[in-house]
Amino acid sequence: MGLLHEPHDLQDFAAEARRFLDAHAAKAPDRTAFTWGEGDDSMAYFSSLPPEEERAQVQRARAWQRIRYENGFGWITGPPEYGGRGLTPVHDLVYDAVESDYDVADTGVLSVIGLGMIGPTVLAHARPHIKDRWLPALYRGDAIACQLFSEPGAGSDLASVATRAVREGEDWVLNGQKVWTSVAQHSQIGVALTRTNPDAPKHRGITAFLVPMDAPGVDVRPLRQMTGGADFNEVFLTDVRIPDDHRLGEVDGGWSVALTTLMNERATVGSEGAGPVAAALSPDRLSALMRATWTWDDRALRARLAELLVDAMATEHLNTRALRTLRGGGTPGPEMSVSKLMYGQNLTRAAHFVSDVLGPRIIADTGRWGTYAWSELLLATPALRILGGTEEIMKNILAERVLGLPKEPVTAAAKEVRP
Amino acid sequence: MTADESELRELRSSVREFLAAKSPEEAVRKLMESEERYDPAVWAQAADQLRLPGLVIPEEYGGDGFGQVELGVVLEEMGRALLCAPFFATVVLAAQALLASGDKEACARHLPGIAAGRTTATLAVAEDDGSWDPALISARAVPDGDGGWRVSGRKSFVIDGTTADLLLVVARTVAGPSLFAVDRETTGLAATSMETLDATRAMARLTLDAVPATLVGADGAGGRVMAKVLDIISVGLAAEQAGGARRCLEMSAEHARTRQQFGRPVGSFQAVKHKCADMLVQVELAEAASREAALLADEGSDEFPVAAAVAHACCSKAYMVAAMENIQVHGGIGFTWEHPAHLYFRRAKSSQLLFGGPAVYHERLLDRLGI
Ligand SMILES: Cc1cc2nc3c(=O)[nH]c(=O)nc-3n(C[C@H](O)[C@H](O)[C@H](O)COP(=O)(O)OP(=O)(O)OC[C@H]3O[C@@H](n4cnc5c(N)ncnc54)[C@H](O)[C@@H]3O)c2cc1C
Repeated sequence: MGLLHEPHDLQDFAAEARRFLDAHAAKAPDRTAFTWGEGDDSMAYFSSLPPEEERAQVQRARAWQRIRYENGFGWITGPPEYGGRGLTPVHDLVYDAVESDYDVADTGVLSVIGLGMIGPTVLAHARPHIKDRWLPALYRGDAIACQLFSEPGAGSDLASVATRAVREGEDWVLNGQKVWTSVAQHSQIGVALTRTNPDAPKHRGITAFLVPMDAPGVDVRPLRQMTGGADFNEVFLTDVRIPDDHRLGEVDGGWSVALTTLMNERATVGSEGAGPVAAALSPDRLSALMRATWTWDDRALRARLAELLVDAMATEHLNTRALRTLRGGGTPGPEMSVSKLMYGQNLTRAAHFVSDVLGPRIIADTGRWGTYAWSELLLATPALRILGGTEEIMKNILAERVLGLPKEPVTAAAKEVRP
Repeated sequence: MTADESELRELRSSVREFLAAKSPEEAVRKLMESEERYDPAVWAQAADQLRLPGLVIPEEYGGDGFGQVELGVVLEEMGRALLCAPFFATVVLAAQALLASGDKEACARHLPGIAAGRTTATLAVAEDDGSWDPALISARAVPDGDGGWRVSGRKSFVIDGTTADLLLVVARTVAGPSLFAVDRETTGLAATSMETLDATRAMARLTLDAVPATLVGADGAGGRVMAKVLDIISVGLAAEQAGGARRCLEMSAEHARTRQQFGRPVGSFQAVKHKCADMLVQVELAEAASREAALLADEGSDEFPVAAAVAHACCSKAYMVAAMENIQVHGGIGFTWEHPAHLYFRRAKSSQLLFGGPAVYHERLLDRLGI
């Protein structure tokens, strides 16, 4: 990792991180010495754990996040007045690199949405006392957050949200339905997009709110996904009263709040690298799989493996470069959208590559280590081409915003503003 | 016997009507989570009302003597409906293996029961590595001294292996791979169901401990029989795949026509339009490849082996593409358990790999072409 050979403050920081981790965590088994048949062979991207086990896992995530926070590594880039460390995104990256040598709890349930997307949104748009209340709680692992954006009628076309928020004195009253809300079942807060002005053009009539998930009228119902488990939910909002100070940004100015979240979503989804995802693209793991199936000298498979690794590694470089840009105080360009697009494609190709290597061994469970387990990744991959913006939407963004290509002709219907 | 175009259409519509009534999505979902994995009453009706199990069984064995073309029509429809029934195992795998063996006695013993829908059967070839190559088989058979045999070993990925009345097992003798008939009710046989990627196709693991068995065909002829069988059953599978792919395409086109985003149907976006058109291209190729191969089989053409390999590869790819893109066109809803898209995705992946997967079928094609 080139970023570790950087100015001494980074080296000092890395040494400090190592001291902290030595004191609180065990070293991870040497990943280069990966042995086929040993350890956990789970390739689950979405959990399909029984509820108690899932709750226990959430508790482990929280506990580890708290230790990180109390030792100054829970919110490395956050402003000190809200409990952050005030360092740069590169410090964050350095910490991640150091931590990857240690065996620590998977904190995805907290970090992907809450810390990666909602935290930055609250920081940018909430009132100071709301930030005081929720930011330390989020980064300390006390609170989990979800993104209440999508609705049955508003997916790719997010600006057509129909959930209504109506002002009543100092409060707003929310009514509507959200869908596909990941981790809502574990969340204490959510950021919701609502329609506050049905007469304005659709992007300009939206207001964002911070919704306490225990507010009366918030009803979270699990939605089973094709992998079998239920990581996402439907969230029904019925006469939910939200005080005006929980508003994020301006009245009718919620679209810019949404953009903050979406920008961070691309960054998080694209650069997420832990757990089964890393394993799926790990040269060690994949080559061990080929050895175990006697396909090691299959030329066609080797060529495909090489292609797969080239894309995965180039995507990693793209992420690193985006972080370098951030470090220089710049804003990354199209890297994040490219990265998000490639993330879904890399894993999809990896899953199909693995199933070609395994052949029938992935279609039914013979009990052999590391074979049928891959079906879990295979079944998760369709989601990765959809969540956080579909492949088609990401390509539209690249074509229109980066290349300046014209939009598809707008029909009369599209000009109408949907309530 | 050969049906003409209008008879084929009639066959298709009566099978489709039957499946719409007997194998709607709710029934498929109920059965795939049940112990039995199929509904014996529906199976009996398929036999009594439509005579489906006997469709391709020669008249001398109590069947109607139709060919692969007619069978293909039925399999396309079953693939569309994801029917949970022992049809593929019994009529495609087992019956074709019996016929390919050339063993008239075995055919006379087993085929009439199959044709009448009284006997269900399957073919057990693959072991733990999933390979259908008889050369890689380790189950063994030894003569019992009384003209019979005893088979020992293990079989995996056996379709309907926990329910089939008759198990045709490939095992090795001194003379080489050979085909044996094993009765479900015999001693020394244990079958456990496997957890499967495609829940609509039940699979089992068999443990055979000196199980009494009858040789089918000549001792040591298993390799030759299997080569023949693999062609015919992969064309059967191809028809099923083509039917499933067509259904995915229809679902996608329907959704793209009706789902509104940005004030217009998502199908009006060129990105989605092209996706659907790409699916259509795959589906058309798949239907052509599987139907043509079936026709060549019925004609006894020399071109059949190549066409069979083409159909297997083409339909495997087409179905996988259609099943993946079907989810994509549906967006978030396509990723839910309640939506049928994942059932097709599971079936597509499982079928693609059933007889070994792309590496195997690509090699077989090149081999057939003398490359
Ligand atoms: C596992 C999972 C987790 C999720 N988690 C969350 C969450 O936590 N919070 C949240 O708010 N949302 C979440 N989502 C929702 C996700 O953001 C939406 O599903 C996604 O944006 C697509 O919207 P849609 O499902 O309505 O599909 P649609 O928008 O209906 O798309 C249908 C098809 O049309 C295509 N399409 C649509 N518009 C265009 C266009 N202009 N040009 C070309 N093609 C187009 C799409 O690419 C797709 O193929 C999650 C989704 C999944 C699958």
